Amino acid sequence: MSQISRSAPSIPMLLAIGIPIIIALGFLPRFIGLYQTELLIYGFTFAIAALGFNLLLGYTGLLSFGHSAYFGMGAYTVAFIVRDLHVQSMELCILGGVLASLVISAIFGYVCVRHTRIFFSILALALSQVLWSLAFKFFWITGGTDGIRVPRNRITLVGGLFDFTGSGAYQRFVYSYYYYVLVIFLIAVVIMWIIVHSPFGKALQAIRDNEVRAGFVGVPVQRFRWLAFVISGTFTGLAGALWVPLNGLTTPDILYWPFSGEIVFMTVLGGFRNFAGPIIGAISFNYLKVYAVAGSQYWQLVLGSVLVVLVMLMPTGIVGTLGRIARMLRRG
Amino acid sequence: MNPLDRRSFLNKLTVGAAAAASGSAAYFAGPRPIQAAYKPKGNIPDKPFKTGHITFLTGPANLLGEPGRKGHLMAAEEINAEGGLLGRRKIETILADEAAGTDANVKELRRMKLSENIDLFTGIVSSGNTPALGPVAEELGVLTLFNDGCTDFLFDKAVPKPKYVFRVTNIQSADGITSAVGAAKAWPHAKRVASLQPDYSYGRNVHEHFMLAYQKLVPGATSVSEAWPKLGTTDFTPHITKLISDKPDILICGVWGGDYVAFYKQALRYGLFDKMKVATTLAFGGQPHAIGKDHPEGVLAGAHANYFFTFPGKGRWPINDSFVERYYKRWNEYPSFEADGAYTSLYLLKAAVEKANALVGGWPDDDAIITMLEGMGIDAPSGYTYIRPDNHQGYKDAVIGMTKNDPKYEFPIWDPESIITIPIRDITAPPNWPKPGQGHNESTAAANWLKTTWLT
Repeated sequence: MSQISRSAPSIPMLLAIGIPIIIALGFLPRFIGLYQTELLIYGFTFAIAALGFNLLLGYTGLLSFGHSAYFGMGAYTVAFIVRDLHVQSMELCILGGVLASLVISAIFGYVCVRHTRIFFSILALALSQVLWSLAFKFFWITGGTDGIRVPRNRITLVGGLFDFTGSGAYQRFVYSYYYYVLVIFLIAVVIMWIIVHSPFGKALQAIRDNEVRAGFVGVPVQRFRWLAFVISGTFTGLAGALWVPLNGLTTPDILYWPFSGEIVFMTVLGGFRNFAGPIIGAISFNYLKVYAVAGSQYWQLVLGSVLVVLVMLMPTGIVGTLGRIARMLRRG
Repeated sequence: MNPLDRRSFLNKLTVGAAAAASGSAAYFAGPRPIQAAYKPKGNIPDKPFKTGHITFLTGPANLLGEPGRKGHLMAAEEINAEGGLLGRRKIETILADEAAGTDANVKELRRMKLSENIDLFTGIVSSGNTPALGPVAEELGVLTLFNDGCTDFLFDKAVPKPKYVFRVTNIQSADGITSAVGAAKAWPHAKRVASLQPDYSYGRNVHEHFMLAYQKLVPGATSVSEAWPKLGTTDFTPHITKLISDKPDILICGVWGGDYVAFYKQALRYGLFDKMKVATTLAFGGQPHAIGKDHPEGVLAGAHANYFFTFPGKGRWPINDSFVERYYKRWNEYPSFEADGAYTSLYLLKAAVEKANALVGGWPDDDAIITMLEGMGIDAPSGYTYIRPDNHQGYKDAVIGMTKNDPKYEFPIWDPESIITIPIRDITAPPNWPKPGQGHNESTAAANWLKTTWLT
C-alpha cells in the first residue's frame, strides 16, 4: 500500500487553505436555504464517522465491517439519556454517547485486534450484529424497529442557551445546529489531524505497511491497534450522538450491517489514502443516496453502479483522483 | 356491557354478508358525470397541486406498495381529467421508494416539503414508518394522508394531538381482533393457538390483539407456540417445523406481502394447512394475483380488516363495481385494500377542498381543508369511511372471509358465503378512550378497552 502522505503540509499552508473554507462554510446557510443546510449537517456527522473509520482502514490497514455498532451506540445512548434520564443538555448527551461508544469499542476492539485481514473484518461485523439484535429484539427497552424518538423540543444547546420550543422551532434548530455540528466537526478534524501526524500515527502507518518490522523496531503492535480501534470507535460514536437530534429518532437500521457498509462506501468514495478523503466521501455519499432515492426507484442500482465505477476506475476515490488530475495538469 | 353469553356476544359482533356497507355519505370516491361537476367559488390558481407519495416500489413489500401507487395515480388521473382540484389545479405526484429505510424516508419527506414544496404527502405501507414520519410531517406542517402504516401507536403516542396528519385505512388493532372474531366463529373449539408474526410492531400488535380477543371469545384458549421471523424472511422452514411440532389447533399468521407468499408455498410442502386451522390478517393484503390457486381453501384470509375487491359484491355497492372495473381497465389487475386506501385518500382530499371552497371561496388554506377533513365521511369502494375528528384516524367496518377458488379468477377469492363484516365501533376503542399512559399501561387504547369492556 502506498504511503498516505509524503510529508505533512506546513502549518501556514494548512491555515491558508483551511481558513477560507471555514469562513465559506460559516456563510453558506445564508445562501443555500433550510433543506440544503440540513443535508450538510447530515454530511458533517457522517464525515466524523468516516474520519474515525479511516484511522483504522487508511492508517492502520484494518477494514472494519462493524462500525455501525459504535455509531449506533452513540445514537442509542443519547436517546436513552433523553428519554429515561430527562436530560436536556446536548453536551451531556454527547458526553454520554462518546463514553458509551468508547467503552464498547474498547471491549470489541480487545477481541478484534487479535486478528487482521478478513478475520478482523468478520469479527467486527459479528460483534456489531450482537448490538443490532439486542436493539431489534428487546423492544420493550429499545422500541424495536420503531426505535426511540428524540424530540427536538427536549434538547437544548450550549448549556441551555438555545432551546427549540414554540413557533419556528424547526428552522431555529437547523440553523443553530448547523454551527454547533460544524464547530464539533472542525475540532474532530483537528484532533484527528494531530493524531495521524503524531509519532503514534506514524507507528500505525508502520504497522499497516509491515507489522513484523514495526514489531522489531519496538512498536507494540497489538496495543497500538487496539488504541486505534478505540479512537476510531469513539469518533464514530460522537457522530452517532450528533446525528440523533437531527434525524429525530434512532432505529436499529443504524446498527445493522448495511450501515457499516455505507461507512466503508463513504470512505472509499472519498479515498482512504488521504486525510480529506473520508470527509469529502461522507458528504458526497449523503447527497448521492438522498438524490438516488429521490430520483429513482432503482436507487440501489445507482449506488451499486457508482461503487463498481469507483473500484474499477477511481480506486483512490474522489480526492485521490482529483489529486492525480491536478498533478497531471501541473506537469502539463 | 350487559352480561351476555359468549355465543350471543359473538353473534352480535358480526353482521354477516347481508348487511354490508351500511351508511351513506354525501361524498363518494369516483369520477362524477360532467353535469354534476362542482362549480368552484372565487379565483382558483392553476398552479399544479404537488403530492409526494412514498411507498414500497421494490422488495417483497412491493406486493402492497404497488396497488397503493396505482390507486393513487388512478385517482389523480381521474381528478385531472375533470380539470384537477376545483377544476383548476392538476395533481402532480413525486414518487419515492419506502424500501430505502426509515431514516431515508424521513430525509425524503423533508426533501419533498422543503425542496419540492409539496402540498400533500400520501402513501406509506409499513407501521414502522408512520410513527417516524408523522412527527416529521407535523413539524414541517405538511398536510398528510397516510394510506396505511396503520399502527395504533401513531395516534396513541407518536402524534397524540395531530393537526396535519391523517390516516385513511382502519386502525391496526382491528386486524387482530377481526381475525379473532372470524376464527372464533368458524372454529369455536380451537383452543391451542400458535402464532407466526413478522418481528416488528405490526406482528406484535396482531399477536396481542388476536390473543386478547380470542381468549375472551374462546374460553380456555392458550398460546402454545410463537414464531417471529424477521420482516423480509424468505426461508420459513425452521418456523414451520417448530409450529407443526407444537401441535396447535389453530395458527394466527400476520406475515404479509412477499413473505406470506413464500410462507404458504413452503407450508404446503410440510402439509401445515392439513394439520391446523389457519387464520391470517393479510393473506389477501397484496395484489390479489400474488396468491396462486395452490393456496388452500378454507383459510381465514384477512385483508387488513378492510377491503377485498369482491366485496361488496356485484350489484350491491355500485361504487365498488365501477372502481374494480376502471381499475382493471387501467392496470389489468384487481385492486387491493392499499389501492382502495390510496384512491380514497385523494378523493377525501378533493371532497374536503370542495367543501372548504364552498364555505370560504378561492383556494382554501390547509387549516380550512383540515377542518373539513375532521369528521368527514365518504363512500369509498370498500364502503363507508369516516375520519374521526379526535384522532384523525379513518374507520370503516371490518371484513374478513374464507379462501375459495372460483373458476372466474386466476387466484382464490373470499367464499361469498363465508364473508363477515363487523361494525368497526364494536371492535375499537370509542373516541377519547384513555390512551396508553393515561391511567393504564396497555400497549394501545383498544387493548385496554377490550380488556375492560368485553364479556367482563
